[in-house]
Amino acid sequence: MKRHLVLIILLASLCALTGWMTSLGRVGFFTMAPSAKLLSAVEEHLQIVLTAELLAVAVGIPVGIALSRKSLRRGAPVLSAMTSIGQTVPTLALVGVFSILMGLGLRSAIVALSVYTLLPIVRNTYAGLVSIDPRVKEAARGMGMSTSQILWRVEMPLAAPLVMAGIRTSTVLNVGSAAVAGMIGAGGLGEIIMTGVSLRLVEMVLQGAAPTAALAILLDRLLESVATTATPRGLRLSLRRGSP
Amino acid sequence: MIELRDVTKVFPGGTRAVDGVTLAVHEGEFCVLLGPSGCGKTTTLRLINRLVSLTSGAIAVGGQDIQQLRVTQLRRRIGYAIQEIGLFPHMTVEQNVVTVPRLLHWPKAKRRKRARDLLDLLGLTPAEEFVRRYPAELSGGQRQRVGVARALGADPAILLMDEPFGAIDPITRERLQDEFLRIQREIRKTVVFVTHDIHEAIKLGDRIALMKEGRLIQHASPSQLLGQPADDFVRGFVGTDRTLKALRLTTVHEIMDAEPAVVGEEETLAAAQREMDSRGRSVLPVVSTGGVFLGWICRSASSETDLVPVGGRITPYLVLGSQGMPLNEALALMLESATGTLAVVDEERRLIGVVTFDRLFEQLRQTYAERVASEVES
Repeated sequence: MKRHLVLIILLASLCALTGWMTSLGRVGFFTMAPSAKLLSAVEEHLQIVLTAELLAVAVGIPVGIALSRKSLRRGAPVLSAMTSIGQTVPTLALVGVFSILMGLGLRSAIVALSVYTLLPIVRNTYAGLVSIDPRVKEAARGMGMSTSQILWRVEMPLAAPLVMAGIRTSTVLNVGSAAVAGMIGAGGLGEIIMTGVSLRLVEMVLQGAAPTAALAILLDRLLESVATTATPRGLRLSLRRGSP
Repeated sequence: MIELRDVTKVFPGGTRAVDGVTLAVHEGEFCVLLGPSGCGKTTTLRLINRLVSLTSGAIAVGGQDIQQLRVTQLRRRIGYAIQEIGLFPHMTVEQNVVTVPRLLHWPKAKRRKRARDLLDLLGLTPAEEFVRRYPAELSGGQRQRVGVARALGADPAILLMDEPFGAIDPITRERLQDEFLRIQREIRKTVVFVTHDIHEAIKLGDRIALMKEGRLIQHASPSQLLGQPADDFVRGFVGTDRTLKALRLTTVHEIMDAEPAVVGEEETLAAAQREMDSRGRSVLPVVSTGGVFLGWICRSASSETDLVPVGGRITPYLVLGSQGMPLNEALALMLESATGTLAVVDEERRLIGVVTFDRLFEQLRQTYAERVASEVES
């Protein structure tokens, strides 16, 4: 409850800050973004984040599953190497590279972000699947489940908490990274921030940054409750008690 | 029902886990695969449902070569129970139990009924309450029962069990073994049961297959294994106290004196004394007119001249035996009792027999004599 309260206060102050900055209207020579523009920027931002996330999930989960299969497990070290290298590449560079390859605009921003998001999802799916007690899988096999029945009825439900955690962290990461997308003309809150930076106008930077942070918090909370529903009840019980 | 012919398994890396094992398990038989760890007993079990693939030899289940069947089809026809940890933690007890019926597309109503029947059979009552629980909400022993219920799910003719009672405390294990024996008498499955515990093997098995380093050393009934060990390894494995272990295989009913000398509570001490002298005994059981066992009368309590009834001089009994009691328990009770003699009574406490050390010793001597005879033969 205490945690909720802190978050609500934080969220409220971020929204208030955004509202205040928007209500300034003009600062010196410059005009702040009007509220209609701010709303459409939020909408664009969400669109970029969610599309990139969906793309990453659609690719990342199957890749994670594939890597956890016995025949492909040898590829796992390559994956962990890729993960550590991939995360050292700055988002800025990744977005830049894709804008050179695919041209400026929304499409290359989305692709760049989903590549950046892919790694935590692949890694968590893989980790969730390989951490399952081998005896549970053996029991499933011994009772005559086919490989795909074992995957969908036993392995995926048991890996669900970790997979969801991967999606959650990557989404939060994505909200921040998506601001960079403003640089290559993809729109979103990043555009307002960039304009503020180039005009050396702190108020406008805040006007873009505060709603970005609010969005990250909101999506995190939302995905946390989704994760709780996605975790099978029996599993929640056993995680809490720390036994099988 | 299950036939292994010259079965060999060599793992990649060259380990010969199972080496030329030939073994037949008849319908309704409880076969225990016994041996020290690493002897190949678990591998042998897993070869039967093809969790491990054969290197050479052949296995037939119900007359069919297992290689000819689809592997999932084969496994759905064979119940499989491992240590309790194998339950699916994300499924309820009911979902766990009807795993195989679901794979076989049983209608929902039939599955529901099956789950409740099985929980009743395994003593998880009220079943209606247990069906909704999750494995994390059960005790170790209860989880183990669910594991056995799950193996029985689709009513398979064959049950493979890999140390199913291995991970639970001795008292619960003992109780589960007793219950499983009771259930087995009712359902008569063909069971192959892996354990490294000689006591468990003797208690449960109709026949025991003792393995060592992948080879089958002796396949015999528990009493044969104990009485006539095939070689020094078997002798060492069953332990130097094998004669004591063999006691478990005989019940009180088989060796008790069913027509013991008794003294009525109305008889005089002098009469009791005469009876003791003629039988050469120092204690005799005292019974009421209805035949109910009251206690013992000892030589020290009587004298030739006493004409008072024995009723007042009874030594109270501390322990009582029953007909179905195994001899090892009877022996323990006799050591505890004040008189060194065990009275065997029925449900109404009427005396039906007496076990003395002499009779017990006779029984041990016979087991020993058989073994000596067989050793001389071979």
